[in-house]
Amino acid sequence: MDPQATIVLGKAIGAGLAMIGAAGGGIGIGISVGGAVMAMGRNPDHTATIQTNMILGVAFAEAVAIYALVVSLIILFVLS
Amino acid sequence: MEALGINPGTMLIWLIAFIMLYVLLTRFIYDPLTNVLNERRNRIAKGLDDAAAAAAARQNAEAEAEKILAQARSEAQKVIDEARGRGEDVASGIEQEARQTAAKIQYDAQTEAVATRNAELGNLREQVLQISVAVASRILGESIDAAKQQSLVNSFIAELPADARGLGGSIEVVSAMPLTADEQTQITGEVGASDASFSVDPSILGGLIVRWSGGMVDGSVRSQLSQMGRNLN
Amino acid sequence: MNSFWNGKRRYVALLLFLAGVFVALVVPPVIPFIQLAGENLPAGYDIPFTDIRITNTLVAAVIVWVLLLLFIVYIARRRPSDGSEVPPGGFYNMFEALYEGLMGFIGGIAGGAHFRLIFNMFMTIFLIVLLSNWMSLIPGVDTVGFIHPHVKEKFDADTGEYKVITTDGFEIYQGFLGISYVNGQCDWISPADEAAADAAALAAADAAALAAQQEQLEDAAYARYQAAHVAHGDDDHADETSDDHGEDSHGEEVVEPSTTSAAYDEVLAARVAEKQARADRGCYTGVAPAPWQDGYSGDKDAKKEPIPLHPDPSSEDAKRVPWVVLPLVRVASTDLNMTLTIAIISVVMTQYIGFKALGIGYLTKFFNFGTLFKSPLGGIDVAVGLLELIGDFAKILSFSFRLLGAMFAGAILLFVMSFLVPILPWPFFILEFFVGAIQALVFALLTAIFMNLATISHHHDDDHADEH
Repeated sequence: MDPQATIVLGKAIGAGLAMIGAAGGGIGIGISVGGAVMAMGRNPDHTATIQTNMILGVAFAEAVAIYALVVSLIILFVLS
Repeated sequence: MEALGINPGTMLIWLIAFIMLYVLLTRFIYDPLTNVLNERRNRIAKGLDDAAAAAAARQNAEAEAEKILAQARSEAQKVIDEARGRGEDVASGIEQEARQTAAKIQYDAQTEAVATRNAELGNLREQVLQISVAVASRILGESIDAAKQQSLVNSFIAELPADARGLGGSIEVVSAMPLTADEQTQITGEVGASDASFSVDPSILGGLIVRWSGGMVDGSVRSQLSQMGRNLN
Repeated sequence: MNSFWNGKRRYVALLLFLAGVFVALVVPPVIPFIQLAGENLPAGYDIPFTDIRITNTLVAAVIVWVLLLLFIVYIARRRPSDGSEVPPGGFYNMFEALYEGLMGFIGGIAGGAHFRLIFNMFMTIFLIVLLSNWMSLIPGVDTVGFIHPHVKEKFDADTGEYKVITTDGFEIYQGFLGISYVNGQCDWISPADEAAADAAALAAADAAALAAQQEQLEDAAYARYQAAHVAHGDDDHADETSDDHGEDSHGEEVVEPSTTSAAYDEVLAARVAEKQARADRGCYTGVAPAPWQDGYSGDKDAKKEPIPLHPDPSSEDAKRVPWVVLPLVRVASTDLNMTLTIAIISVVMTQYIGFKALGIGYLTKFFNFGTLFKSPLGGIDVAVGLLELIGDFAKILSFSFRLLGAMFAGAILLFVMSFLVPILPWPFFILEFFVGAIQALVFALLTAIFMNLATISHHHDDDHADEH
């Protein structure tokens, strides 16, 4: 097999595997947004506060997914 | 490191730039702007307090004004009532006075008129007497004078029927010639009346007519003459 | 001005949309070259008196700094001198509202004795990162730049020399008004690959000619067999004669030149047509005459000539290398230098404020030997303290890679979407707008939270409560 093709293959598989980690971030975002929406339904008066905290929580959960993304980006664009 | 693009020189430039920006932002934006915002916040809070105090003061003033107004209103009402009462008193006083005055004037006028008439009648007395005497003498053959009058009165009293004595009410005495005060008193005393009004009616020619509420005694010359005339006829 | 545009903006937007469709059809977008490290600008753009090449992320960083300086001047000039003045409207008022809102927000999180320092750090990081992130929304950033030969020098250990190698890239195209742009309609094919394709076409033509010849011979043999079969009237000899026929054909070499050359020419013509199609699309490579064509200059010289490292785009050498767009400005947050520096500043400031608030006692957060022999679980406290120490170093990585990952992925998302749906990438710009704001807020807010946590003593909560 062509060595170049092997490298590309390995990079693609590795990047794809790394992105599995983004699932955790997705689950976290789902849980936090679900909780926030329920809280907003119960206390519509506190929507602004809940929304701010929800966005922060979502950003933190998303950070995990972004780490996975960074790993896959490094695999794709930095490794040679 | 090379593949990640980490370059100590670039990082140093970033560090210097960050510190510079931090210092400049703090010096020219954060500190002054925070002060301005705090000042404004205090100002607004103070303004709100002032407004609340002013509102309270106004409310108090309004309540006071309302109180004063109510007081003034009640006082005015009292004054009006007083004035009205006084006015009514005055009016009724004036009216009464006027009425009294009117009554007095009326009475005076009446009295004067009566006096004047009496005086005139007194003036005419002689003539009337003379005419009456003349007529009477022509009819009766004798003349009437004061003495006659007196005798007529006396005879009248003497002939006064029993039911006409002690009447005790108000009587009206009609005479052909004005009666003297003695005669009046005499008649009043004889009749027993508490009140007597005297009037002059020359048409009765002489004598007296006494009227009261229950009846009358006609002792006048005219009725005697009429009696005579009827007897003659 | 306002009244003129009222009700007409929608037509302007429609015109821009149609212009976008037109441009996307005429100049198809290409995916720019993707590389994590900031790309060096071409030779001639280096820091004065040094040979350090400026990266395009540093250009963006300088733009951010200049914009922030202008912002400082603007705000300082517009700001009312005290609280009694009515604030001016417009952009200043918007900033003031944002500032006041964030001040209240941070006041609710870290409204202690160190509020001013924490808030100033928060705001500085927020403004710098926000401005950097939002630069990706400006048209031209990440897309307009140098058309750069995508060649690399690689050290060859065998020969002991630097060898120029090429990687994937695009054709350069001289377009309208002499503006050259990378043409995405045809991918670059190296001259060696081109020569190999020509050789393959020749081989295929030979094979086709051989096959045609074979078929012709078989047809002729079959015709002979048929004639023989009709003559003998014997079915049983059919197999033998057909087997013999193969051996016979080699010997006889009956070839009809017209048929075989037709198959040969057909294959070669297909190859020439392919090359011509590329040339018609404006591609440089693959248009050189094939060996069988007129004007073939001979590939031996071309192969020997080394590939130039920095060819002139208008020269013939331009056809021999692939080209990529090297953006003049690339969002600063997609460079690890910026994110790492700010992350280090953030963590260092966290330690600084910890020492400032708690004195030397702050170190007990990391080296907590106080309870080691007093409590049965003292060992756990030591381990936790050491974990905190490691955690603070991990914060640097976490901070820097979170921002880098979000912004770099966002930039790639915008490239890919502009490439796939050239006329409708704007929903992703809206997404990037929010991602940029949220990432800036998260970076700054986490700094504020960590700084606030550092001012609170972990192990002397009671004492701390008494102090206040």
